[in-house]
This record gives sequence, C-alpha cells and structure tokens, in this order.
Amino acid sequence: MSKEACIIKGTKHGLSILIPSGLDFSEVLAQLRARLASAQAFFSGATVYVSAADRELKPEEKRLLEQTVEEFGMVISEGKVPEPQTQAVERREDSRSEDGENTLLVRRTIRSGQRIWYDGNVVIIGDVNPGAEVVCTGDILVLGCLRGVAHAGCNGNVSATVFAFRLEPTQLRIASYISRSPDEKMPKPLEPEIARVCDNVIQISAYQSSQS
Amino acid sequence: MGKSIVVTSGKGGVGKTTAAANIGTGLAQIGKRVCLVDADIGLRNLDVVMGLENRIVYDLIDVVEGHCRVRSALIKDKRFDNLFLLPAAQTREKDAVKPEQMKALVDELKKEFDYVLVDCPAGIEQGFKNAIAGADMAIIVTTPEVSAVRDADRIVGLLEASELYEPQLIINRIRPDMIRKGDMMTTEDVIDILAIKLLGIVPDDESIIVSTNRGEPAVLDKKSLSGQAFRNIVRRLEGASVPFLPLEETSRFKRLLRLFNLSGSKS
Repeated sequence: MSKEACIIKGTKHGLSILIPSGLDFSEVLAQLRARLASAQAFFSGATVYVSAADRELKPEEKRLLEQTVEEFGMVISEGKVPEPQTQAVERREDSRSEDGENTLLVRRTIRSGQRIWYDGNVVIIGDVNPGAEVVCTGDILVLGCLRGVAHAGCNGNVSATVFAFRLEPTQLRIASYISRSPDEKMPKPLEPEIARVCDNVIQISAYQSSQS
Repeated sequence: MGKSIVVTSGKGGVGKTTAAANIGTGLAQIGKRVCLVDADIGLRNLDVVMGLENRIVYDLIDVVEGHCRVRSALIKDKRFDNLFLLPAAQTREKDAVKPEQMKALVDELKKEFDYVLVDCPAGIEQGFKNAIAGADMAIIVTTPEVSAVRDADRIVGLLEASELYEPQLIINRIRPDMIRKGDMMTTEDVIDILAIKLLGIVPDDESIIVSTNRGEPAVLDKKSLSGQAFRNIVRRLEGASVPFLPLEETSRFKRLLRLFNLSGSKS
C-alpha cells in the first residue's frame, strides 16, 4: 500500500475524514470501508466531517461517501471541517486510557440530541441538557448542570465517576450500572455532587474536596 | 394479531403526540395491550409526555440496527402493565430508518399487542414515510385553522397514494366561544373540506398543558373535558357509537343560563 486513501482524524467537533487527491475514487471508497469496518463500534454514532482536500468531489461521489459513512452508523455533518488539526489520528489505537489519561474539554452546553463520545475523560464547561448524552470510558465532570444522560466508564470501568455542579440527570450510567431519576419531584441539589458505584448501586453524595 | 394505527397531521404542533399518548393510555385503561411507537427520530417527545424519559436505555434505532431485541427496548408504563413505549432515538436523524424496517418492526409488535400506535413526525418527508409504512389505519389530527386543514388534506392525499385508505379525523383545540362568534372554523367546515370520517373533537383545554408537562395523560383525569373527549375517541375506536361532545349545546345551555341570570337580575 503506497498511499493511504483516507485519513481519519479526531477533532473536538467529531471525526473528520480527509480524502487526498491523486487516488482513484473507488480505491478510496474501498479503503474507507475497510477502515470503518475494522472498528465499527468505535465509529458508530460519531459526527463526521468529510473533506476532500484539493480533490473535486462529484455529487455522485459525495453521495456514495455519505452512504458508506452512514452505513457504519455515523452522522454526516454539513459544512467545513472546523479547525483541521493534525493531532491524534485514531485515538483508540495509540492510547488505552483505562487510567483516564486522555481528557476532552468541551466549552459549550450540550443540547438535546447532541452526543459526546470519547475514549477517556470528559470535562464539560457548560450544561448537559435533557435529551443530550455524554458517553466516555473515563470520568465525566460537568462544570454546570447535568440534566441529560451521562455514561461514565462505558468500557466497564466501575471506578469511573460522574461529577456535576448540579447533578440532576435523567439517567446515570456507570459501567454496566444504570439508575434513573425518581418520578416524583425532588428538591434541586444546592451543591456539587458526585456519583459512583458503591455496593453494586450508583450512589450520589455531596462532593467534598477531601474525596478523591 | 393487533392493529397498527399511525397518528399524523402534516402540520406541526397540532397535537399528534398528545393524541397518541392519550389514545394509547385510554386503550390501556380499558384493558387493551398497547404499544406506543415514537417515530419522531431526532425530536422525540412521546417519552416526555408519558413521563418515561428517564427509563430510556435502548431506542427504536437500536432495535432496527440489531443492537438489542425489541423486548429490551420497550418501556413499561408507570400506570398500566399493559402499556408500553418504544422510544425514538434523539441523537440520530429520520433517515437512520427505512420504511421497510419500520414495517417489519410494527408487524412484529402487532403479534404481541392489540394496538400499535405510531406517533408520526410533522412533515411529509422521510419521517412521515417511515411512520406510515406499517400502518393499517391512520388517524389525522388537525386544528380548526385553515393552514392545519390544508396540511391535513395533503396528508389524506399522500396516505391514499400509499394505499392507506379511510383515515379518521380528530379535530383538536376547538374553542366553542370562538366558533359562536364566527371566528373559528366549525367542525362542519373542516369535514366539508376533508370529507373523511370524524373520530373525535377535542376542546381547547388548559388541563392538557398541565398534564403534558406533568407526564400524566389527560385521559386519566376524570374531570378534564379533553380527557373525556379522548375517552370517547377510544370507545369509538373500539367500535362503540358515542355521541360527540356537545360543544355547541354547551353554548345553548350557557345562553339559557345567561337568560336566567338576566331575568334574575331584572326582578
């Protein structure tokens, strides 16, 4: 294999697929397919930007690309690739972050229908609204109000925690444990809280800085 | 083998989801096994209206894509053991499902349930095509407004093109006081245009807003007028002949009352 037909990059806005020029389109498509198939679970649900560098994509080619990407459960995002950075190609392969070394910093509010997936920890400076989902293999920290669904330690890490300034989630998941908010109205939390798995259930307690 | 019904409208905001929630709950209340299916992928609401949002783990897309079995995605209602919800995915888009997949799913559900109620998204695009794919029957919801009726008419045509004949009509948010003043289309005006069977008329009712926000369908509220309207609709679906709510008669009754009051004040 002389030249890679496509480069998949992780950016903070999702994945971006770069199609270099100078290769036959069918070759590009075949390689992309193979790449996606090799880690289907990882790519599923991700937001993708496709950019063609200096290659001019025909509408038909563009449609085929989108079709392929969607086949693997990814969501195509319209528009240009935001901040095409040249770091961390396929994070999953070059870093196993069971110890939570990688951390994604998100400086915005996650709204209904938006989903954050990350192999590592996630820190959100903003709120997580109802209908939004944050899923990661490490810890989740919300510097704001968590009202949506949070799934920490999704690879089975039971020591993962979910922290929020205001913890009012629709549903909390840590590893394979699931808990949901009570049906009756609850008083709003007034202080930062942290959720962790204790005695096989998810427990929420007030956050004290002496805790880890 | 149960019956699948799609609740649709064309126009948004006329009360599809409210109607689906109330009819589904009403049918469950009289002992039918009911499954509500939210086909509004990306803008799901039915779970919120039913007060079941916090129970969602798997959704319709997970089922269609084979990540889980139908049974594990179904959410049992808080109030009735014979009422279930299959929620839509919120983080995906309408084209994540194909009509054939929806049909297969609804057909599978029909084996288990007496009624499969599909809540259709607004519009006539992919989401609409998905929602009607497995339906045996359609309920069209409209409000007495020209724009809503126009869209409903379009839907009737599209349903016919998809070989879904004889849809039934619910006219929602009727305000007798405005009709009396001639400011609102009457039931007859709407039927005149659409020429389909009337399944029910639902008065504009504040209690609907309260019940929607609480996640408690109004059909369970014995005192609510709109709840009564939905209970009547449920009985009609079950084949009973129930007279329509006497909206106009209420006005006559009120006029009588007013007469009495007038005469009372004179004496």
